[in-house]
Amino acid sequence: MGRGQRYGIALSAFVAFAVGAVMTLSLLLGDNPALFGDQPGSAQLAGLLALPADVLLRLVTIVVALSILIGIANLLYVHVGRLARGKAYSAIVLASFGFTVYWYVMRPGDTSLLEAVQVPIESALAALLCLSLLHGGSRVLGKRADIWGLLFVAVVVLVLLASLPLAELAPIQAWRDWLMRVPVSAGARALLLGIALGTVVTGVRALLGQDRSFRG
Amino acid sequence: MDEEFNWLEYSESMDAAAQEDEAQSSRRGLRRFLPRLPGLPGLPSLPRLSRPRLPSLPSLFRRGEHASSQPSAADLLGSQQERPLDDLDERLRALRERSVVTSQPTAPPNQALYDVDDILTSPELQSKPGGVISAAALSRAQQQQVQMLREIVGDPEQSQWAGGRRDLPAFSLGAVPRLLGSALLVLVVCLPFASSDYAEGQLPPAEFHEDRHQPTAFYDLLDNVSRDDTILVAFEYGPTAAGELDLLAELLLRHILAQKAKPLIVSSNPIAIVHAQNILRSINRSLAGADAQLLHGEDYYVLRYLPGGALGLRELSQNFADVVRISARGFPTGLEFETLDEMAEIVLIAESAEAVRNWVEQVLSATGGRRLLLATGYAAQPLAQAYADSMTSIVGPVYGIRDAFTYGEKLANNFGGLLSVDAPVEPEGDPEVVQLPVNVVSDSQVEAPRPTESQVDAVPATALPQPTATKPPTATPFMTATPRPPTATPLPTDTPAPTATEASIRVVEVISDQSVNIRRGPTTIDEILGLGYKGDMFEVIGANGDSSWYNILLPGGVRAWIAAFLVEERVVTASEFAGAQASASADAPPERVILQLDFSLRLSKNHPRFYQARPPTSGEGDRPELILSRDRGLEVPRLQAMTLGTLAAILVIVFGNTIYAARGLMRRRDSQGS
Repeated sequence: MGRGQRYGIALSAFVAFAVGAVMTLSLLLGDNPALFGDQPGSAQLAGLLALPADVLLRLVTIVVALSILIGIANLLYVHVGRLARGKAYSAIVLASFGFTVYWYVMRPGDTSLLEAVQVPIESALAALLCLSLLHGGSRVLGKRADIWGLLFVAVVVLVLLASLPLAELAPIQAWRDWLMRVPVSAGARALLLGIALGTVVTGVRALLGQDRSFRG
Repeated sequence: MDEEFNWLEYSESMDAAAQEDEAQSSRRGLRRFLPRLPGLPGLPSLPRLSRPRLPSLPSLFRRGEHASSQPSAADLLGSQQERPLDDLDERLRALRERSVVTSQPTAPPNQALYDVDDILTSPELQSKPGGVISAAALSRAQQQQVQMLREIVGDPEQSQWAGGRRDLPAFSLGAVPRLLGSALLVLVVCLPFASSDYAEGQLPPAEFHEDRHQPTAFYDLLDNVSRDDTILVAFEYGPTAAGELDLLAELLLRHILAQKAKPLIVSSNPIAIVHAQNILRSINRSLAGADAQLLHGEDYYVLRYLPGGALGLRELSQNFADVVRISARGFPTGLEFETLDEMAEIVLIAESAEAVRNWVEQVLSATGGRRLLLATGYAAQPLAQAYADSMTSIVGPVYGIRDAFTYGEKLANNFGGLLSVDAPVEPEGDPEVVQLPVNVVSDSQVEAPRPTESQVDAVPATALPQPTATKPPTATPFMTATPRPPTATPLPTDTPAPTATEASIRVVEVISDQSVNIRRGPTTIDEILGLGYKGDMFEVIGANGDSSWYNILLPGGVRAWIAAFLVEERVVTASEFAGAQASASADAPPERVILQLDFSLRLSKNHPRFYQARPPTSGEGDRPELILSRDRGLEVPRLQAMTLGTLAAILVIVFGNTIYAARGLMRRRDSQGS
């Protein structure tokens, strides 16, 4: 490893650690003053960190916004290249893009394209997904004829039955409520805990230089 | 590329390039862009990072010391040694064996070189730019040899790969069940839109279930916002969830606008912002006949898009003052808020659990005790419920199209009865029919709610001595009805008797800081006729058996009931009562006469509407009346379609799995028999 690369690694790690430390301290001291409010100097430190944290946050937001523009430019570049190679569908993409921009500029506030194109397409995709799920649900036992497949089908049917607004199904609705309140809620909380722990571990690994996604 | 490509030469050239690259390694980084200057002193070499001593930390953190020698996580993964098969547990070994079995080639014996053909037609190679040939870097001569091999072998699939495109597979009988199931689902979903005869089940109730306090609290909080309050409304859903959440979003916006509060719409999803504008436009379209339009920048605001998902929300909470200054179209809004705490309420309409989590983590935690009112789709409901159960600052969730329907019913009911004592309408015509204010469209007349005989019998009212005072002159009747003479015994009281010189009236005065429901009967399930506000005074004509409800006489003679704990009973003179009524008329905000109902709970082919009329007041100049109306014609068919579609889905799932399970059992029996 050359000296330049070592400098680059050290600099990247330092920048990542410094930015992470500033944002973390600002988060802890700024959003939760009750945690460290009685510590001497915490208010002064929070005041010192407020400005750099704010600037860094804005920088990130700007970078994200620019990344969207870069993504659009890349999309156009790729499809222009495909069009040059004779891919006719890319012409449709480019023409649609140009027409949408033209429509937005010439008729500001007109959302008829959204209503006529975007909403029907996304709704149709959602409907296709529904049909696919239904088809998959109807052949679960064909793929996995064991106790777990049977349990899966039983729970699906139970939840669907309980969602029917029929007075005769009131007992099933009580079971469904229990399912949603206990196992599903437990799963949701477990997801929250897992995400929180994963976020903390990933953050710490990045700060320590273990993961360096910022440099590849 | 050379015509005759030599792999050996290529390998050697690559090795030479690699050696050259190694020799130039000191010029990596930014320095490789600098011109090579002879005699430029090199940078002093960095000392190697010494191994840190961290005995007290977990091993996970101590691995950071290898960062300089292992440049990325991908390298770490690549350096891992494969675990021996004996270390795998039984389930993983079974999975591996199954994958080995399924990956065995199944080509017929007469297809020679099947493995070569599989490689050449594998999806990985097909997806490479330029297709198979360029990916494998075959020369033209080699391509000709491959083609010759194909012809010799007699590849049966050769015709399907002409031009690199696969022909559409032929129709097979295996797709019939799939088509039948899909057709059944589409058919039953469409039926309710064709005719109201295809209906099954009950429609959602007009009130949230009594066990669900959170949705009721959600409604009450929005119901109690004041005029010119600013409500932050987050639209975090796109067109995919439009069918599920549009109705709820529109109702929430109408509810806020009807209170004359101002919604500030914000989103981290650009499509959602456009969608919110669409909903506001649809509300405006419904106002076209009334010549009243909601104005951006006056009645509502659509703020700029927040890029970056969670980061954008973080910026919203940290730099709220900057965010609210720019509209979605890039124009200044003129709003001067500094923090989120200046919002009267924060409402989140979200389709995904991730959006809920981001708002709770990035926005709610940064406020000083603000509430977050959650409205979600079915997918986000479990997580939203978990949050609502854990955090007192989260109210809700109201979720799905069924809750939206209930919300609409509740909205229509609560704004449907008597709301004002100051509307200047002369009573005329049938005394049992509501006389509308002159500024409300005439076709919104409805039958006046009145107590039924059964209700009167069920809860006998005890009458008070009839007052002799005249009606206050300024309290013009809004609803007219024939007052029924009280028939029960007098209510005992310890208040001093009125003097003979001036007639006295027994009244109740609203003492609650929030609006109070005035109902048709002495229970909370009776229909709400209107609202009373703090300081409002009503004449008392009786009470129920345990005196927990007062029977009051509304201006115009309509009898109604009000809960006793929300009011204070007093005896006042006729002049005091008249003065209080006059004061209430003068101070009453116009929204107390704004909503009138032309709505029936019969949920058939009606097209119910509710109207809001904003009478011009002295401070608003020539601002047009605001009238909100909503066409609810498709709500009931959509609910029926959802019910029938769910039924069809259950049938398909049960029927399909039964057949598959039976077939599997038969196969198993046959295999055991053989």
